[in-house]
Amino acid sequence: MKIVIASSFVPFVHGGGRFIVDWLQQKLCEYGHEVERFYLPFVDRPEDLFDQILAFRLIDVSEACDRLVAIRPPAHVLPHPNKVLWFIHHIRSLYDLWASSYRFVPDNPAGRAVRAAMMDLDTRTLREARHIFANSQVVARRLERFNGVSAKPLYPPILTPEHFRNDGYGDEIVVVCRIEAHKRQLLLVEAMRHVRTPVKLRLCGTSMSPAHLQLIRATIAEHRLESKIAFEDRWISEAEKVDRLAPALAVAYLPEDEDSYGYCSLEAAHARKAVLTTSDSGGVLELVKDGVNGLVVPPDPMAIADAMDRLFVDRAYTARLGEANNRRISELAIGWSTVVEALTS
Amino acid sequence: MRVLVVNNAAPFIRGGAEELADHLVTRLNAIVGVEAELLRIPFRSEPADGIIEQILINKNLRLYQVDRVIALKFPAYLLPHPVKVLWLLHQFRQAYDLYESGASHLCHCASGAGTVQVVRNADRQCFLECRTIYTNSPVTQGRLQKFNGFSSTVLYPPLLDAERFRGAEYGNYVFAGGRVGPGKRQHLLVEAMRHVRSTVRLVVAGPLDDQAYGSYLLRLVDQNEMSSRVDLLFGFHSRDQIAKLVNGALACAYVPIDEDSMGYVTMEAFAAAKAVVTTQDSGGVLELVRDGETGLIAEPDSQSLATRLDQLAGDTGAVREMGRAAKSVLDAKALSWGYTIERLLS
Repeated sequence: MKIVIASSFVPFVHGGGRFIVDWLQQKLCEYGHEVERFYLPFVDRPEDLFDQILAFRLIDVSEACDRLVAIRPPAHVLPHPNKVLWFIHHIRSLYDLWASSYRFVPDNPAGRAVRAAMMDLDTRTLREARHIFANSQVVARRLERFNGVSAKPLYPPILTPEHFRNDGYGDEIVVVCRIEAHKRQLLLVEAMRHVRTPVKLRLCGTSMSPAHLQLIRATIAEHRLESKIAFEDRWISEAEKVDRLAPALAVAYLPEDEDSYGYCSLEAAHARKAVLTTSDSGGVLELVKDGVNGLVVPPDPMAIADAMDRLFVDRAYTARLGEANNRRISELAIGWSTVVEALTS
Repeated sequence: MRVLVVNNAAPFIRGGAEELADHLVTRLNAIVGVEAELLRIPFRSEPADGIIEQILINKNLRLYQVDRVIALKFPAYLLPHPVKVLWLLHQFRQAYDLYESGASHLCHCASGAGTVQVVRNADRQCFLECRTIYTNSPVTQGRLQKFNGFSSTVLYPPLLDAERFRGAEYGNYVFAGGRVGPGKRQHLLVEAMRHVRSTVRLVVAGPLDDQAYGSYLLRLVDQNEMSSRVDLLFGFHSRDQIAKLVNGALACAYVPIDEDSMGYVTMEAFAAAKAVVTTQDSGGVLELVRDGETGLIAEPDSQSLATRLDQLAGDTGAVREMGRAAKSVLDAKALSWGYTIERLLS
């Protein structure tokens, strides 16, 4: 089948939103499809929000391909008689984050009109799709609640799960992901002040915010945690990531209200490691069940410290959680054959 | 510095412009302090009255935190940005020279004339805003001057992988590379093979623009029982395969209708010291090919081309001589990526 994958991007910003697209392209090709991929620029600024969406709407690849797979918004507004969505998030500041500090238009009649127009436009264009898949139950529920459309969760796999290995369970709880405020590495640093065992923490990744890196560095220094926390604020290659995870005691991933489980939770599962997360981490909780394949605790430094100590003290238990986390992958049918089947049927 | 290269993209079609754009990004990324990425915006030239929508698409997209845009084609160059450098490979010829000559798909009626005016206005506004305008050939430069009144500097795109085209023995076939389609007129060469008297062979290799055109060529070969003398290798070929075909050829042939630039096909042949057979109406190709010096120039018909093919086969001494001259003509232009990138970033 001739398939066009359309998604939006911000030039020069790399991350999860591109992996899902690039990997899907590669896998669809491996399954014998002819694939063309378009990343279209999009900035969610109120002053030209609808101008940009108009541009997306006018892009018509109907005659060029048998099927359109649209991923990041507003790519779902592209017209096509055979359109399938793998919807990964709304423009959240106009949806579930309306009441938060992320809202970018004022809550007045004009701002509310922008919000209503966006929702109406989304609802109408979402309904054009032949199938709608979401990257998590969280996102599927939002589609139901705000747009009245039903979507099935279709969990995003990683590209090369076979690279991950397990060299046993050491002393380090490892975090390999972007270092940003909403990923809450700082909460883990705070927790390290309260641990009572020799458990260690390793934070790895790059950041868009030098100020936030500085804050983490300063907090580590202030509490003299240098011997307990390894801080690698740089780009970590795939091979390095594998090497960091293989001897880890467990993986920590406690973002604030994430849309999906996040690639780092899934990588932990492939490396047979338990995941430590928090009760407000959103989509992560679709993968991680407390006491089954990880620990789920309140987003509080004391509770997190206590969980870290438990993981450190009872290695046999931690190992069992890690094994269960690996089984969770097949329980949820996370894999490219599932994805390709869903998006091409 | 974050540099975004902006180009059109017809879904699933790749040609010289796509190769050039990819290569430009690679070269830019090799420079310390430069981060480059390619933006491809889907484009469809049909239907004719849809052109206004294509303009709207590009004018309504927005870029954020990009330091410089290098734009290559209409309508992608309409994307707004305060620091835009144009390396113009194509205007929308349907609204310019092809419209004047009656070869445009835009009609000479109120709606066609209106579309032409919209394209020209959008172009004018964009050209006024560009920081610098480079063109890929004197043909493009002349057209821009004539129709839009903008002057520009010619910046020839260097070969992407000159090291592959070193030449080799002179074989018994003429090689016609590049995309295969009505605009490139490979049918003239295939038809010419009906008239040749020598034992020269023809090899055509490249991606098909048009399935029907491919079928037509296959039928021509079949009906005239030329399968032992004409090879039609449609589809994508690796750069190594293309280079092998060029390097081992007796000469190369490239007979497009009024091409804008010298064309990579011509440049690759010249780099490999091969004479090029072309036609009087092939446009930019004639910048390089001089009749009897670096190649042969035929009338755009099969009889005339057949005569030139026989002439090549009959005098291999002259073929080598022309090949050597072709190589020196290209070398004298001293095209280099270092210089090209420097201009585009200045």
